[in-house]
Amino acid sequence: MTARAREAWAGYAFAAPTLVLLGVFVLLPLGGAAVISLQETNGFGAGTFVGLDNYRQLVQDPVFWRASLNTALYTVLVTPAAMAIGLGLALLLDSALPARGVLRSVLILPMAISGVATALMGVLIFDENSGFLAQVSLAMGLPQVDWQTHGPAAFASVVIMTLWWRVGFNMLIYLAGLQGVAPELYEAARLDGANAWQRLRHVTVPQLSPQSFFLVILNIIYSFQVFDIVFVMTGGGPERATTVLVTYAYDTGFVTRDQGYAAAIGVVLLAVTLVVTGLRWRAERRREESE
Amino acid sequence: MHVSRRSFLAALGAVATPTVLGGCGGFSTGGGSSSGEGSLTFTTWGTDAELAGFRSAIAAFQEANDGARVELNAVPYEQMFTNIDAQLQAGNPPDIFRVPYYTFGSYAGRGQLLDLTPHLSGDVQHRFTPQAWAAVQSEGAPYGVPHHTDTSAILYDVQALADAGIDRVPQTLEEAWTWEEFAEVARQLQESLSSDRSPFAYNWQGNGVTRWLSWLFEADGRFLEEDLVTPAINSDAGAAAVEFTTSFFRDNLVPRNNSISSSTYAADSWFAGTVPMVFAGAFLIPDAEATYEREWAATFPPRRERSAGDFGGNALVATAQTEQPDLVAQFLEFVTEAEQMQEFCAGSSLLPTRADLVEQGIEFDVRPELSQVFLQQSSAVRAQDSGQVASPDMSSIITVLQDGLEASFLGDADVETTLATLSDGIEAATQ
Repeated sequence: MTARAREAWAGYAFAAPTLVLLGVFVLLPLGGAAVISLQETNGFGAGTFVGLDNYRQLVQDPVFWRASLNTALYTVLVTPAAMAIGLGLALLLDSALPARGVLRSVLILPMAISGVATALMGVLIFDENSGFLAQVSLAMGLPQVDWQTHGPAAFASVVIMTLWWRVGFNMLIYLAGLQGVAPELYEAARLDGANAWQRLRHVTVPQLSPQSFFLVILNIIYSFQVFDIVFVMTGGGPERATTVLVTYAYDTGFVTRDQGYAAAIGVVLLAVTLVVTGLRWRAERRREESE
Repeated sequence: MHVSRRSFLAALGAVATPTVLGGCGGFSTGGGSSSGEGSLTFTTWGTDAELAGFRSAIAAFQEANDGARVELNAVPYEQMFTNIDAQLQAGNPPDIFRVPYYTFGSYAGRGQLLDLTPHLSGDVQHRFTPQAWAAVQSEGAPYGVPHHTDTSAILYDVQALADAGIDRVPQTLEEAWTWEEFAEVARQLQESLSSDRSPFAYNWQGNGVTRWLSWLFEADGRFLEEDLVTPAINSDAGAAAVEFTTSFFRDNLVPRNNSISSSTYAADSWFAGTVPMVFAGAFLIPDAEATYEREWAATFPPRRERSAGDFGGNALVATAQTEQPDLVAQFLEFVTEAEQMQEFCAGSSLLPTRADLVEQGIEFDVRPELSQVFLQQSSAVRAQDSGQVASPDMSSIITVLQDGLEASFLGDADVETTLATLSDGIEAATQ
């Protein structure tokens, strides 16, 4: 065996455990879900093959469309907001702000908390009767917000708790990126007369492009998959105003026990995630090639 | 001591390998029916008091049956049925598990439970109240034993009602307020409360939406015809129940977040002091006694054409795949004997399903004087009501009720639209 072949085999050997795990725990279940999505099944015994009936039913299902719209809106709101706030905080913490170490720890702390615990904190904050915000509004004589019973307000409460939870991660990635930007670039920009905004716009943001690309992909995937915060905070209500695709799939699969239909929702979610990620990937490559 | 990277990785690998391999070994799901001859596996969730009751019953069973062994697998409620479903699908379920009556039908109707007809003693059905026995029937055969029940009564803050000038609270089932009287009591309370509080909260959140059916039954209505397939909710009784319960929100008699999908349970509002009255099951008594700081008592829910109640609680069922059906039946009969049921119900603040215990009465270990309120209320449950809730399609009907009622409570759906939505949804669910 040549040295080159040995190296190739060593590479395959190192990759094999990961590929086996990926195959068994990701690809195989995905294939299984796709097969189940073509069946009518309550999960017990063999299902009945119904072809694309579940997908046809999805097209006519107003709750599916509502859940899709909610998922898209959630993604559109959370992704840029989490990144913008994360970048802002990273810029602050990268500068000579006092107590930076403590502030970094405080902002990163939510990452260590589970989604369910975060959502339970959200319930304590947004409960209309006895929540923190209701008490503050009452004490200050401010009008009450129907955080649990008014659709847009309930949606906003979920977005706010998500941002609290996710911003630390975005900040961390940007902070690492900022520390890798060469100071000479800023010095050169300063000598060329660039003000602070111009330095941010034309030096910092382009230099953080790899981090931004990574965060866009991660935030989009996370947003499509949101479950725990919605499930605990609002249960998808009021009147389906916060139902997202994963909570709808859960309800359909485990409450209604229509597992074929739930699998179809999951397959659609996977397809949309892949398409959006692919498009973003392609756009990024085009941008890199043009530079 | 110097530790090189190579030796560190080698040591890490040596430590991790057995753990990884151990984790892979068999992908144990816990509590599966891998039991040997004479051994049964039993999966349940439960409060500390309930689990203590089950352990005590198991110990007595093992003592009474030489060589028999029951392995109790206690899991969190949140994981209970996803675990059970996965085990059933994998062909490795426990021999016995605990199941709410509203979920019972979805297992029995799909061939997952053991038909106990040939295994139970001939006279065992006479132990139970008719409504309890009806709740474990599927196509005329018993697929479980009704282990305990629970129903909702009203827990109220004594001083708050006195402050509102409400000096007569029903002391017997026959004295229960009519719907009109109850609404008047609520309005009286409303006038005495500050604007940020409401008179009462109802416990229909989540799967508790089946408790809304009590209003339908009080109006002498049904949601399924006797064939348990044809929808029957689009009726005068259905209209009365939808109209009356929607008025709770329209007239601010309940907090706005007392809706079906709310993450705030009715009991949480009562504990927080937001409402002075709450509809609650007896299982809440120990928590209330330990944490509610003001004087509180219990009274009967209102009635219209008749009194009615939700048939809460759980059955014990055997899986169709069990290899020891006779031993399973022996265990199920044993835990529903009078002594075992009395001890379990008294300790857990739950209600018996045996007719003799219902007749002679039972005293909860905590606040025993309230036992009679819940016992009397449970007698208002009729077999025709509990039989409908045991429908194999109940899990789908629950979703229909949740969406339809939420649209009426918080949205602008009128009574006719709501009834039509519910009826269509139930029809689709039972097809």
